[in-house]
Formats: sequence, structure tokens, C-alpha cells
Amino acid sequence: MRISKGALLVVIAVLIPFIVEFRTALSWFGIEISVLESLVLGAVVVLAIVIWAVWPPNGDAEAEPTGSS
Amino acid sequence: MRNAYVDQFPAEAKVIKAAFWSSFLALAIGGSLGLLQALHRTDVLRIMEAPDYYTVLTAHGVLLAITFTIFFLVGIFTWGVTTSLDRGLVDLRFTWGWYAMMVVGTVLVGVSILGGVVDAIPMNADVLFTFYAPLQPHPAFYVGLVLFVVGTWLAGADWFRTWLAWRSDNPDERIPLPTFMALTTTLFWYLCTLGVALSILLLLLPWSLGIVDSVNPLLTRTLFWYFGHAVVYFWLMPAYMLWYVMLPKLSGGKLFSDPLARVVFVLFLLLSTPTGIHHQYLDPGIAEGYKFIAMTNTMFLLLPSLLTAFTVVASMEHGARQRGGTGYLGWLKALPWRDPVFTGMALAGLMFAAAGFSGMINAGMNINYLVHNTWWIVGHFHLTVGTAVALTFMAAAYWFIPQVTGKELWNRSLGLVQVLVWFVGMTFMSNAMHRSGLFGVPRRTAEPQYENFAFEPAAGSMGEINAQVALGATLLTVSLALFLLNMVMTSLGGSSDEIPDNTYAETLSGPEDAPVVLDNLKLWTAIATVLVIFAYTLPLASIIDAGGLFGPGIDGFQLAIEAGPAFVLESVREVIA
Ligand code: HEM
Ligand SMILES: [Cu+2]
Repeated sequence: MRISKGALLVVIAVLIPFIVEFRTALSWFGIEISVLESLVLGAVVVLAIVIWAVWPPNGDAEAEPTGSS
Repeated sequence: MRNAYVDQFPAEAKVIKAAFWSSFLALAIGGSLGLLQALHRTDVLRIMEAPDYYTVLTAHGVLLAITFTIFFLVGIFTWGVTTSLDRGLVDLRFTWGWYAMMVVGTVLVGVSILGGVVDAIPMNADVLFTFYAPLQPHPAFYVGLVLFVVGTWLAGADWFRTWLAWRSDNPDERIPLPTFMALTTTLFWYLCTLGVALSILLLLLPWSLGIVDSVNPLLTRTLFWYFGHAVVYFWLMPAYMLWYVMLPKLSGGKLFSDPLARVVFVLFLLLSTPTGIHHQYLDPGIAEGYKFIAMTNTMFLLLPSLLTAFTVVASMEHGARQRGGTGYLGWLKALPWRDPVFTGMALAGLMFAAAGFSGMINAGMNINYLVHNTWWIVGHFHLTVGTAVALTFMAAAYWFIPQVTGKELWNRSLGLVQVLVWFVGMTFMSNAMHRSGLFGVPRRTAEPQYENFAFEPAAGSMGEINAQVALGATLLTVSLALFLLNMVMTSLGGSSDEIPDNTYAETLSGPEDAPVVLDNLKLWTAIATVLVIFAYTLPLASIIDAGGLFGPGIDGFQLAIEAGPAFVLESVREVIA
């Protein structure tokens, strides 16, 4: 893992507003994508991030200090 | 040896626990009603009559914006004062007294609102949380509000007398930061609630009792907003306090600057109240110039919030680097994202930044006309009070409930999921509400669809925006249920030795770096009072001059009693004809 599981979940959550409003933003340039296309796009981006996160170059992210007292 | 709050202050811990549970109860009821509203408005599920919608909306607004927030924050401030002074409250009977007073006030208000849907209760209070005249509730509603507010005044007095007792033992020491925050907040709370208390006791209550037969709606409205903007800082200051004293510690570091934090709280004391007229940009009867002054003060209020963003993020970065984080942005990875307390507060702060942007739009006199009374506003304050405050409080509860009960949190991972689901749910609901407002969807309307008229979103369709609201509201309710489940299960659990010590963040730059004048509470209160006099004397005088203290014969209007659908139709016809 490159980042902790917690961080990965947070990244995915924070991504959601961007995906939702990306569609709105595109429509200003006359590019209309459907809800389904938007969902597929979101799924692809999430998948890419998950793959990036679990790719194993340094497997120590989970071993980080958890210092959450 | 375990050294949690409950070990240090067992008696105070009981009061705080009671206050927290009162607030959770309000959150549970109010939140569920929120789902009902969202589904009703979006026509996904309509299980109530349209007039009942206003009873529900009143309960939602009062229970969440007043009851939930304030019960929680009196708990937080009591914790902050006792922990940072390292001393118990002066007299616990007094403490239970103000708590009881707040409970009695809440029950009166709650029952009078409930009367709107339960025939057996001969009351109603379908006046929404702003109780604008001529909408008229049962007098019990006003009495309850006053009792509740007086309860909070006594709570403030409790913190003050505890601090004074401490000061006579420690005459040369600086006020510890959390106590400083609680006291400055209390001071502007006194200043602002005075207006609404006078309005209720001298004008509205006598009117609802029939002692006087009229009110001046513009006057009572202005006095409401005299309090109504400062109350948002009353909610927000405890959240700020948690960001200042908890987030740096959770990140593994220290608070960047104690002096800067003091400056921020002083600025809020000065500027919270003389800004209320920014809620009345569209009210006829208040001259533009006064509105302009309120706008200017409001824009100055951005400063302490920007200072807070800077200090808190700098402290988090410091903590992350202490934990081995490196790089320009790479330090973000070193933060404790698996901890729901940290992540909840951090996401709440992030959403607050977004709320700051929509808030600037609300605050601009000219552009406010575009969004006034639309769903944009509702989207905005679900980011501020509904997330920056509510999510911070929920996240904090994951730390506080173990502290005040001595029981370990039932399920931390579920806590993390809960705060993330709230964030995602609010993304959908609030975003869609903001966008609805831009094309004119009104707030406070049960069924916003009209004959021969269709809303035209700039992008997408009304249907999908409604779907986003419904989806978001559902996710929020799920999140709420997960939160309450975790709290109940934690409370049912057994006592644990694994509770962390009751501490808060140390500082990189401490109080010794702060000018002594910052602790001069009398000075700041005096300046705050002068600013209020400047901002309000002339507008109030001209409102009274134009409409009279008691207005021009305004009769009370009781929605639930008089306004069957036929009655409403009738009066609409009259207006049109
Ligand atoms: C389960 C989560 C929630 C949902 C689904 C929800 C839903 C809603 C909806 C749909 C409205 C708009 C009604 C209208 O304009 O007709 C509303 C209004 C409001 N909400 Fe929420 N809400 C939630 C949580 C909160 C929280 C946590 C707070 C504050 C701490 C809050 C405070 C308010 C206030 C003050 C109003 C305005 C009431 C009025 O116009 O008089 N809500 N809510
Ligand atoms: Cu305001």
C-alpha cells in the first residue's frame, strides 16, 4: 500500500464532489455526458486510484505511526 | 493509571454526559425529520399533508440549529474550562440547575411544536425557527425559548465564576486558551441574546398572550437577526475550539500559534453581532446605507476565518512532519486518516471552506438578491451548521464519550465510515440545493412545483437534481443512524482502562508571545458594545419611527389552526383579485 486504507477511503470520498460537478463543468463547454457515463467515469477513476494505492513499491504505509490517541 | 476526564472530574463528567445525550436525542429526531422533508419536496415519498410540512420544518430547524448544537457546545465548553483551568466547577448544584432549565425550555418548545400535528395537544407553533411575526405560536413556545436561553446565560456565568475562582488563586497567569475561547464566546452570546430576549419578553410574548394587540414585524425581525447572525458563531466557536486544541494533537503536533488563536476569538467577539442586518438585504424599511455597513462588517469577518484556516492547517502540517511526513504535499499522507475523530473534523473543515465561498455570495448585497430565500441558502447552511459544526461535533463525540464515560468506543472503523458517508451525503444534498437555488427553487415550500411553470436548470435536469437531494438526504440519515448506533453501543459497553489521557494540544508559540491586552475581556466587550450601538441604533430608531413600537395593528396568524388548504386558497385568491 502506498497510502493507508483510511487515507484511500478519504481520497475516494473527496473525489465524489469533483466527479459530480465535472459533469456540470463540462456542460458549460457544450459537452453533455449522461449520468451513466459520469458513473462509469467515476468508477474508472476510483479503480485507477485503488490500483495506484495498492501497488506495492513500499509496503509500509499501514505500519505508520497511528498516533491517534 | 488511567487519567481520562471522568477520572479527573467525575461529577462534571456526569453533567457533560447528560448534555451530550440531550443533544444526540435532538439530532436523532431532527435528522429523521430532515429526511422526511427532503423526500417530500422532491416528491419521492409524500406521507404528510402539506400544512404539516411546516410543523416538521419548525421542529427540524429548532431541534437541530438550537437544541442539538447548544446542548453539545455547553458540554464542550464545560470540558474546556475545567480541563484547562485544572479545576472543577464552583458549585455542581448550580450547574445541574442551568442544565435543567435548558431541558425544561426545550420540552416546552418541543411540545408546543408537536401540537401542530397532535390534536390532543391544544397548542401550535408552526412558526419555523425564525418565528417571524405575524406568524404566532402558543406563548409556551416563547417561554420555552426564553428559559432555554437563560439556561445558557447561567452556563456562561458558571464558566465565568469558575475562571474568577481560578484567577484569585493564579493572579499572574494568562487565561488558558480553551477558557479564553469559552469566555469570549460567552460574552458575545450575552450581547446578542439580549436583543432577542427583549424582543420576546417585551413584544412577542405580550402579543401572544393578548396583553398588547399588535407587533411591529420589521422590529421583531430585526431583533431576531440581531441575535441570528451571532448565534451562528455561537455554534461555530466550539467547533473552532476543537479544531485549534484537538486537531493539532491528533495530527501528532502542536498548535502553531496561541496568540493568533486569541486574536481570532477577539475578532469574533467584536464582529459577530453588528452584522445581523446582512440577513435582511431584501427587507423593505431598512435603508441601503445600514445594509452596507452590515455588509462591510461581514466582509471583515472573513479575516478570522481565514486566520483559522491558516493556523489549523499549519498545525496539521507540523504534526504530519513530526510523524515523518515529507514533501510539498506528501505530508498529507502522514496524517491519521484512519481516526474518525481526526478525519471527521478535517472533512468538516474542508466543507466549511466550501461554505465560505457560498457565504461570500450570500454576503454581497447585490448578488444576494439572486439567491435570497432560495434553496441555495439551505445548501449553504447545511455546509456550515449542518456539517462544519455537526460533523465536528459527531467526530468529537468519538473522543469525548469515552472521556466522560470511561468506556471505549464501540467501533472505530464504523466511526470512520460514518464521517465519510456524512461527507458524501452532504456533497450530494448541499451541492444540489445550491444549484437549485441558482435557478430559483424556493426554500420553505412543501411542494415546489407549479402549474404552467417549469424550473430550468442551467445544466442537467430538475429530476436529477432532485434525485441528488434525495440520495444525499438518505446517505445523511444512514450516517446519522451509524453515529447513534456507535454511541449507544459504546454506552452499553463496560468500563475500559484503554482510554487516552484527557489532554489537549500544546503550542509552538504560546501565550507568553501574545500581547497581554488580548486577555483584557472588559476592553473587548466595551468595543463590541460600541460597535453594536453604531450598527443598530439608527436602523432600530428608524424602524420604530416608521412602524411604531407595536406596529400598525398586526394580528397573529396561526398556520395550523386557521390555514386549512381551503383557507390558504381563499386568501391567495383574495390577494390575486
Ligand atoms: C439527516 C440530515 C439532514 C437532512 C436530510 C436535512 C434536510 C433538510 C431540508 C430538505 C431542508 C429544507 C426544507 C425547505 O427549505 O423546505 C432543511 C432545512 C434546515 N435544516 Fe436540515 N437536514 C439535515 C441535517 C441538518 C443539520 C445537522 C442541521 C443543523 C445542525 C440542519 C439545519 C437546518 C435548518 C436550520 C433548516 C432551515 C429550516 C427553516 O427553513 O426554517 N439540518 N434540512
Ligand atoms: Cu449571518
